[in-house]
This record gives sequence, structure tokens and C-alpha cells, in this order.
Amino acid sequence: MLEFLDEVVTGQLVVSVAVILVILHVNLVGVAYLILLERKLSAWIQDRIGPNRCGPVGLFQPIADGVKLLVKEDYKPKGADLALFSLAPMAIIIPALIGWVVIPWGGEWAMPEFTLPVLGTFGGQRVVVAGADVGIGVIFLLAVASLGVYGVTLGGWASNNKYSLFGGLRATAGMISYEIPMGASILAVLLLSGAVRPQTLIEQQVAGGWYVVAQPLAALLFFVCILAEANRAPFDNAEAEQELVGGYHTEYSSMRFGMFLLAEYAHLITSSAFLALLFLGGYHLPFVGWTSPAAVGLGPALVKVVVFFTKVFFIVSFMMLVRWTIPRVRWDQVMKLAWNALIPLGIALVVLTAALVYLEWTAWWQTLLMNAAVAAAVLAIQPLMPGPAEKNRRVPLAGSRFCPIAPEPVSAESEAPTTGGRPASRGLAGVS
Amino acid sequence: MTTDHASYLPVLLIVLMAIAFAVGNIVLSRLLGPRREGAVKATTYESGMDPIGGARKRFNVRFYVLAMIFLVFDVEIIFLYPWAVSFAHVDPRSPDGALFLGRVLFFLFTTVVAYIYAWRKGVFRFE
Repeated sequence: MLEFLDEVVTGQLVVSVAVILVILHVNLVGVAYLILLERKLSAWIQDRIGPNRCGPVGLFQPIADGVKLLVKEDYKPKGADLALFSLAPMAIIIPALIGWVVIPWGGEWAMPEFTLPVLGTFGGQRVVVAGADVGIGVIFLLAVASLGVYGVTLGGWASNNKYSLFGGLRATAGMISYEIPMGASILAVLLLSGAVRPQTLIEQQVAGGWYVVAQPLAALLFFVCILAEANRAPFDNAEAEQELVGGYHTEYSSMRFGMFLLAEYAHLITSSAFLALLFLGGYHLPFVGWTSPAAVGLGPALVKVVVFFTKVFFIVSFMMLVRWTIPRVRWDQVMKLAWNALIPLGIALVVLTAALVYLEWTAWWQTLLMNAAVAAAVLAIQPLMPGPAEKNRRVPLAGSRFCPIAPEPVSAESEAPTTGGRPASRGLAGVS
Repeated sequence: MTTDHASYLPVLLIVLMAIAFAVGNIVLSRLLGPRREGAVKATTYESGMDPIGGARKRFNVRFYVLAMIFLVFDVEIIFLYPWAVSFAHVDPRSPDGALFLGRVLFFLFTTVVAYIYAWRKGVFRFE
């Protein structure tokens, strides 16, 4: 028994558990304050004041919101499938909370040796300051990120509300469609790195330049995809207020609704960390010695955590600015963007990167040139692509089927044109 | 490289913590919140109208088609992951290099054919 413990309880496990306990709480508090940040940012963009009643400049607003959500009635509409209705918020928050566990926030740390009374001696070796140092970290992140779609589907279906159903369907279709270009853009990076361990990915970016320089198109593709995966504007058709009320969470109240809200922002943190890990060098800052993988002391590890979180903060803020700046895209356009533009682009990037790897042209400027060539080709091909369908062209109102005035007015005196007791024209001639 | 199962223990821990958080929240709000039933209150919110029929209806077939096409593409992308990781370590000058690239290009080519077929069949028309 004790030998078994010796094998399992290593320095890495101790660090992992400590990191999980700290970062889970940082994450949950951070999520609550991201909601406040988003409200403040939107208020600033729309020239309002925003929440300012609870505490100084509204700083206690998240606490008040949380308490309010907890003491509200946990309410279920008639005809809802109770099991699925309760499962949906859990199914959406669990993936949102576990994805970040493989992110190496602090890089490697040369752990000094120390002894605990029962468990024995650990340390003396290098550990990764991460929730879990998993060899397949990137694939784990991708897999967990795509689990979020279940919560949306179940929530939409279980509510017995047509708005929820439509919102859930739209969100599901959008999320699964954007998973494919996301996978392709990650492939373009993995072909260059040849590793799926997050720590190795960062080390390679330190050595060979950040992948956002080597593969800018893939980075752009990935950013668009994480916006769509998180159901954020401009792709938030799931909850298009004007058409679908609240989308899949229309019927939710109390903490079940709160979990949908928390999951959205937790997902934002995870996917921003994913973006920073893959393309923005993770914890690395150029020309700062303490953030390079060679620095393995405790101080550098803490600095790296701060650098990583700062990057995540800036990416999340940028996503919020995007939400409050760009209008929502129509649903068919969202789907067209995925299937007719991003997926061919992603596959082209993968094929060209594979060709470059085969030719051993993998310096950052060579892949950068390839990306520029692809971008130029896209711009050249774009006018040749089939335009929007006839239905969505602009039609003049007069004479169309939406025109309130009948196209050929029948003689007004002989016959008042009524359909089902209501005048067909808006009181121009028909109503006496 | 052998798989180190012990490195997945923290993953198990965080999964358990996430489940506890999710279940705990639902239980807490059920304990703390009021419970008042009502016939009108239990109707679903559909812009204030009385709901016409339930929501368990048939919906557009394009969602099913889309899901099937998604499966094809997603499984294909997943198949490419092991290849992408090992391709960087294969010496391109060796015969294995060309074989590695050629096989995957053929694999991608079949998918591109399927993609063009689906496009021509109108799967990607959403309006």
C-alpha cells in the first residue's frame, strides 16, 4: 500500500493539486468579475454608467447577483423533461470548468526537496506548474471544448419551448460546424510542432517564434472558431434576443440559469488560454529572461502565471469589445461562413503546411509567406465564388409580397377586400 | 513514450470537483429558493402568447444532414492528429516521408470529393 502511494504521490501530483485548488477558485471568481467587466465595458461603449450601486463602482455586483440567483425559485415549466432539464446546466458547466486543467500556467519549476510527515519526501525534480501534466494536453482541450455542445442541445430540447428548441438547434449546428475549422487550424500548428504536450508547444514557440507569426491565418481561424464555439457575438444566434427571446436558456431560472451564464464565461477563459497556448507563446514574453523555459525558479514560475493570465485577460477583453462592436450575423451567413469559407481554408492550410514540412521549409518566415500566399489566393478567388441566393437579395417593398398595399387595387367601392374578417389593406380604401 | 496513468489523477480530481460544483449549485438553489406552483406560471414563455401545441415537433431535416456531414469531417480531422504529430518526426528524405504525405493527401482528397458532392447537392444552403 505504501509503496503504491510512493509511486503515485509525486512532486508533480502535489503541485497539480495545489494548482487545481488555486486556479479553480481564481477561475470562478474571475468568471463572476468578467460578467461585471463585460457589463462595464458595454456601458462604456454605449455611453452609459453600468452597474454602480453595489459597493464602490459596482464591485460587489457579482456577489449580489450570485446570492440573488441562489435564492430565486428553481422553476420548471410544464411539460419539460425534468431529468434532461436538470442535466443540461451540469452538462454545460462541467466541461467549461475542467478544460483549463492541462494549461501549463507557470511552466517548469525545479521543485526543491521537502518532506511531509505521512506521505514522505517529494520534489528534487522538475515539475510543471499545471493542473495536470498530460501528454495529450491539446487533444484533451479540444475534446473537452466540444463536450459543451451537449448542454446546449439538451437545454433546448428539454424546455418544451419552441424558442428554446430553435435556439438549441441553431447553437448546436453552429458549434459543431465551427469545430471542424478549429481542428484544422490546430493541425496547422501541430504539423510544425510535432507535439501535443502543452509545455513542449510553448518551448518550441520560445525557440522558433510564436505561432501567431508563423501561422497568422490559422490564428485568425482559431479566434473566429472560439468565438463561435462559445456562442459569442457576432455568432450568438442561439440567443438572438429579437427572434428567440433567450434561446436555449429561456425557461431557466435560479442557479440553473446562473450555471449557463458561468459556463459561457468559464468557456471564454479556457478558450482564450487555449489561444494563448497555441499561438501567443503561453507564458513567454520576448526579451524577458524570467519568462523563458530556462528559468525554473519559484519567482519565474509566479511571473509566468501572471504573464499567462494577463494574456488571457487581454484576449477575453478583446472578445468583449468584438461583441459590443460588431452586429450579429444572420444564421445562414454564420453557417455559410463555416462550411463554404473556413473549412476549405482550414484544409488548404493543413495541406500546404504538410507540404512545407515535407520540404523542410518550416522557418517562421517560410510559413508566413505561405499564409500570405493563401490570403492572396482567397482574395483572388473570392469574386468568382457563387453569390448569395436570389431570396436574400434586396427586393423593393412596393410590389413585393410583403407590401401592405395590394399590387393591383380592385375597385374600392364594389368589394371591400377582406380576409377572415380583417381588412387586407391598412385602411387606405377598404375600411368604411 | 509510455502513458503515465498517474498524471491523469488530477484530471479525475477536477472532474469530481466540477461535478460537485454543478450538483451543489442545483441542490443549494432548490433548498434556498421558494417553491410556488401555478398553472399559468408553468406555461412556457413564448412572447406572452398562449403556447400553441408543444415543442416536441419535427424540425427541419437539414439539421440531420448537417450532423452527418459534421461526423464525416470531424472524424477525419481527428484521424489527422496522430499523423500530424508523427509527421514532424519523420525524415522527409527517407521513403517513409513521401509515403506518409501521399497517403494522407489521398485521404484528404476523398474527403474533398465528398465535400464537393455535398456542396453540389445543396447541403450547405441554409437560407
